[in-house]
Amino acid sequence: MRFIPAFALTLLFPLATLAGPAPKYAVAELPAALRENAHAVERRHDELLTVKSAARTVETVMRATTILDEAGSRWASELVYYSSLNRISYFRGAVYDASGRQLRQLRTQDIRDISLSDGFSLATDARGRVADLSQPTYPYTVEFEYEVVSDNPLFYSNWKPQPVEQFSVQEATFKVVMPAGLALRFQEQRLPAGTALAQTTVAGQQVYEWRVQNLAALDEEADAPPVSELTPAVYTAPSEFEVQGHAGKLNSWADLSRWTYELNANRATLPPALVAGMQALVAGETNERARIQKVYKFLQANTRYISVQLGLGGWQTFPAADVAAKGYGDCKALTNYCQALLSAAGITAHAALIKAGSDEHDIRTDFPSSQFNHVVLCVPLSQAAKADTVWLECTDQTNPFGYMGGFTGNRHALLLLPEGGRLVPTPRYGAAENCRQRHADVYLDANGNATATLRTLRTGLEYDAVAGLAGLELSEQKKRVGNRLALGNFTLDRVAFRPLPASAPVPGLVETLALTLPGLAPPSGKRVFITPNLLSRLAAPAPAVGERQADIWLDYAFSQLDTVQLHLPASLQPEQLPAPVQLTTPFGTYSSQLLALPNGSLRYIRRLEMPRTRFARAEYPAYLEFRRKVSAADKAQLVLVKTDA
Amino acid sequence: MMQTLLVRALLVGVLAVSTAGLARAQEAPIKFGKIDEADLTDKPFVADSAASAVVLCDFGRSRFEYGPRGFVVVFERIRRVKILKKSGYEYATGQVSLYHANGQEEKLTTLKGFTYNLVNGQVVKEKLNSESIFKEEKTTNITIRKFTMPNVRVGSVVEYAYTIGSDFAFNFQDWTFQEDIPIRWSEYRASIPEYFDYRMLMQGYEPLAVQEQTESTGQFSVSYKGETVGSGFNTTRTEGGSEILMPRQTNHRWAMQNVPPLREEPYMTTANDYVARIDFELAGVRMPGQPYQMVAGSWEKIDSELLTDDEFGTQLNRASFLKDQLTPLLAAAGADPAARIAAVHGLVRRSVKYNGQSRLMATTTVRRAFDQKSGSSADVNLLLIAALREAGFAANPLVLSTRSHGRLQPESPMLNRLNYVMAHVALPDGQEVLLDATDELAPYNMVPTRCLNGQGRLVLPEAQKSRWIDLKPKDRLTSYRQVTMALDENGGLRGSVHQEHAGYLALAQREKLRELGEKKYVAELGASHEGWSIPKYTFKGRDELHKPLMLEYEFVSSSEASAPVGTVYLNPLRDFGMDKNPFLHENRRFPVDLGSQLEETVLVNLTLPAGYELAEMPQGLVMELPEKGGRFTYGVQNGPTGIQIVSRLTLSKPVYSAEEYAYLRAFFARLMAKQGEQLVIKKKV
Repeated sequence: MRFIPAFALTLLFPLATLAGPAPKYAVAELPAALRENAHAVERRHDELLTVKSAARTVETVMRATTILDEAGSRWASELVYYSSLNRISYFRGAVYDASGRQLRQLRTQDIRDISLSDGFSLATDARGRVADLSQPTYPYTVEFEYEVVSDNPLFYSNWKPQPVEQFSVQEATFKVVMPAGLALRFQEQRLPAGTALAQTTVAGQQVYEWRVQNLAALDEEADAPPVSELTPAVYTAPSEFEVQGHAGKLNSWADLSRWTYELNANRATLPPALVAGMQALVAGETNERARIQKVYKFLQANTRYISVQLGLGGWQTFPAADVAAKGYGDCKALTNYCQALLSAAGITAHAALIKAGSDEHDIRTDFPSSQFNHVVLCVPLSQAAKADTVWLECTDQTNPFGYMGGFTGNRHALLLLPEGGRLVPTPRYGAAENCRQRHADVYLDANGNATATLRTLRTGLEYDAVAGLAGLELSEQKKRVGNRLALGNFTLDRVAFRPLPASAPVPGLVETLALTLPGLAPPSGKRVFITPNLLSRLAAPAPAVGERQADIWLDYAFSQLDTVQLHLPASLQPEQLPAPVQLTTPFGTYSSQLLALPNGSLRYIRRLEMPRTRFARAEYPAYLEFRRKVSAADKAQLVLVKTDA
Repeated sequence: MMQTLLVRALLVGVLAVSTAGLARAQEAPIKFGKIDEADLTDKPFVADSAASAVVLCDFGRSRFEYGPRGFVVVFERIRRVKILKKSGYEYATGQVSLYHANGQEEKLTTLKGFTYNLVNGQVVKEKLNSESIFKEEKTTNITIRKFTMPNVRVGSVVEYAYTIGSDFAFNFQDWTFQEDIPIRWSEYRASIPEYFDYRMLMQGYEPLAVQEQTESTGQFSVSYKGETVGSGFNTTRTEGGSEILMPRQTNHRWAMQNVPPLREEPYMTTANDYVARIDFELAGVRMPGQPYQMVAGSWEKIDSELLTDDEFGTQLNRASFLKDQLTPLLAAAGADPAARIAAVHGLVRRSVKYNGQSRLMATTTVRRAFDQKSGSSADVNLLLIAALREAGFAANPLVLSTRSHGRLQPESPMLNRLNYVMAHVALPDGQEVLLDATDELAPYNMVPTRCLNGQGRLVLPEAQKSRWIDLKPKDRLTSYRQVTMALDENGGLRGSVHQEHAGYLALAQREKLRELGEKKYVAELGASHEGWSIPKYTFKGRDELHKPLMLEYEFVSSSEASAPVGTVYLNPLRDFGMDKNPFLHENRRFPVDLGSQLEETVLVNLTLPAGYELAEMPQGLVMELPEKGGRFTYGVQNGPTGIQIVSRLTLSKPVYSAEEYAYLRAFFARLMAKQGEQLVIKKKV
């Protein structure tokens, strides 16, 4: 079944001429279907993972990529990471013109060595070598080869031959060579039909090999799952490993939990005075949640987050006594410290590994492997009537008590327990929690100018986006608030913020604004026009281009409730009120209506609730229809007529 | 009234000369390790409720010492910060950047620090540990030392002090008086012996509280080793020894008090152009018993140095290797100089890809850049100049500083203020053309936006004829749209649009088109108009870079109504006007630097369904900015073939002063209100 283009056959018999190397990767040989929608084409990508032992792996990569246009030129450069646990054995490259003639080879002086300092770490040993083979005319082909020897075999390679949109693949292979006695664990995802693992034994070594060919480029679609969930992948992981003398097994989540627990065990000793201090802090407080809260408050007031990522330090915490002395630490150190503080106060808590990030998707729960980048604290409540848990983020000095938010909520975490922990879900924030409630009073004058006061409460993940505003300088607050307001012309006369009390079930922030709105309701002759839905217009959906390929994936649940009170001058009367709208669909529910009140003012009420949900692509037209109707109702206009007073 | 607030002065002459005795009496504004206890309480910070931290004092001193390898510049700094909020914790972390090259270095000789907290009414002082100091190799020439202070809390005062010894007299430490948090007191002192001649350049919008200059006598113990001179029987040995040098020394002192924070605003070149700062450049050296040796000091000198530099001037006549490729291109271009220039430019642009790095000096030879097919802006544009010369043009380098690199001060000749080179061609008819070949999508004679920054220096072969050239853009941001649309009885619209983007807008749109492709570009255009579909479209002029990028498309915007309506309220510019005032913020302290002029025209021709008529229409409007800074015209006409709406905006200045900001903002507010006005269309009865 292997597809061998005609030119490849000639390559099998290279002519030993003196005219230089035979052409490679001629663009004329590229099937037209692979150029469709593509900025770049992977001509060949061979990835080899050689597991030398439980303590060492070697990753060897060769890729040849044809860059079709400027938008694909990021593939013309390569960055190879290294650190104290990973070293580069070689890094080579060459570039070929469209006909496949070699233009030049990468020279040592073309490779730059850079620090991969993330900008917030105080210290990191992450570095990289970078080479750029960009050319002024398209198409052309770059070829890179490198090898990295790793003493951190907690991670094996994940093979994702088609990682982004607008990128096609002619041929890609992934090979793993395992030494005798060491088993490979792997998980295949979405391999094209007919793709099969070839497994052989060579000199006692198990060899696994996967191959994909002719993967056409994908287009990006609105409200679709990320491309990483649409294209083929093979995930691999060790069954046994050893990092810096710390050996472990990885056949289950419990294995990974146990190893991480042991690596970090016995680092929780606090100075006696601090232990006594914690005991005194919670003395007399009988409510379990309140005891935890007191300790958390102490942590937040006395520590701060400083990231230090050096060698095994990426996995192992600093001792709690260090944090007690310096008042800072990274996520592991602060979590370990908080756990020790709670323990001193008589409260049991467990550290939990998590994949943090505001747009990170959940880990692959059915494939135990190291997929985490952060650690939080999980405190089971022993006195609660039903099983309950308090989750603590220990790296943020202002995070509300018990709140995980968009950084760590709605996903799975791995409890670290001596006997081996399990995956547990972190708090979910749904449409009810992620809520924005707004009340506006708009005072319109006869010329269409207005003033308004706005009071907006944001809770849950809606709160995340504004959580930092309250701490900023007024001019900066005005700038940020102003940039977000969907109004053409305005002056912000007043900006104020007030957080919800700590006792609220989810954290929230109340924003109060006073605005001057010149020309809000532009007059035409004896009429003025105003959109009662002042600020909450849901954007119209992008029109469909071609046939929908991917499922509909709405990953964010939220709800909005808007009330706008329109105070009219005596000289203006509504000419016609927009009709009420009520929509109930699986994609969301919506209602809006405008009421005339006895006192002559008008009240507009709008509700929108969108769930977190997934639909088959066949539903896309119905979804678009819903979005279109919401968008139309949202911009419905009110016409006011000047009465002859 | 339009004059700028900017204080930009070359600090020359004698301002406040006093005696050496007085200078010595001048006490340091801060003593390391001795804090004012009141600073640990909240009281002194009541007025700073908005700030996350306050710099209580930042004090720097530079002076010369004589060491085994000659003169070194010693820089000492003490900095004390009050932490007011958790968001201010970042100010408890410090970093020091150290330069090294050719065996010479800047060396961090001491670093010490304390955190002060008030615990139960007692001052607790904790030391910065050396294990908390980390090192990072930033580049081959720059090492960074990072450190963070212990036990920092809200209310803490952190203090650190360090000393840098530098072998580089030319790299005298600059001083910045302003940051993104308030500063109570910022002071810099520099003691400079007569052997070193520095140019000092002050900039910013904040006043100096202290500016003093005193004279004293320095004292340097200079020792030298014995040396063997001559060879064979004539060998003699000179004695080693030492000597005391006592040069006249000038002691400068500058300070600012209560400096407000500086924040980024839209339409700025770079915050560095606006921050209160003093810079130093070594102009010359006058060692005892030796004549004055110019190090920098004049543009004429910089010009002639550039012209003879291997990484600059000598590359300019080395494009003979292009002869074979140029000959047919020039033959095809004919006699028109513009066409010939464009042909040479096209060859260079197609041959070498700009790697995104702005440079003044070449990183390699023009020949090698051509062979490698990639290079910095200097590699590309020096090749362009060389190729233009090979083609017979009077092409010369125009050196400048890009917007992100900061404004160039013609009064301050400093090589390190330059970071870019373009090409300049003088045509026989006296016309001048500025060229740049770094952008694949820009026409040959467009000045890149990054270069629209004041003046550049034209470096001519006869160095003394070199001169300044205004980097004024010939191109504007231009958009022109002609819309023909028809209203239906339900209130829906369908129509066609002829759209032209020219100048910098054409470049931006061509870049977007390259990134998205035609299909997505149009999909995005459709998505920005609610309820639109775009059944047909054609792009024109995609590759004719000197012409506008044209797009013709049809659109359908259906009505929600399913039956004819009696009255239609229509905002004809809803989809073609401006949707947000670009000047949201109420006031501004800096000029608005747009870079280029702007022109935006929309013409709409609207036809009504049979049986409908225009009942009400907006009035026309003409308004102008002061001093012919801009103009907006709007008009509606009801003619026999339909209703014509014209909206035209011109901004005729690339830069508006801070004083003009209020006018600009109000101008746009009125413009948008006018564009938002509606037509009332009624069914005839």
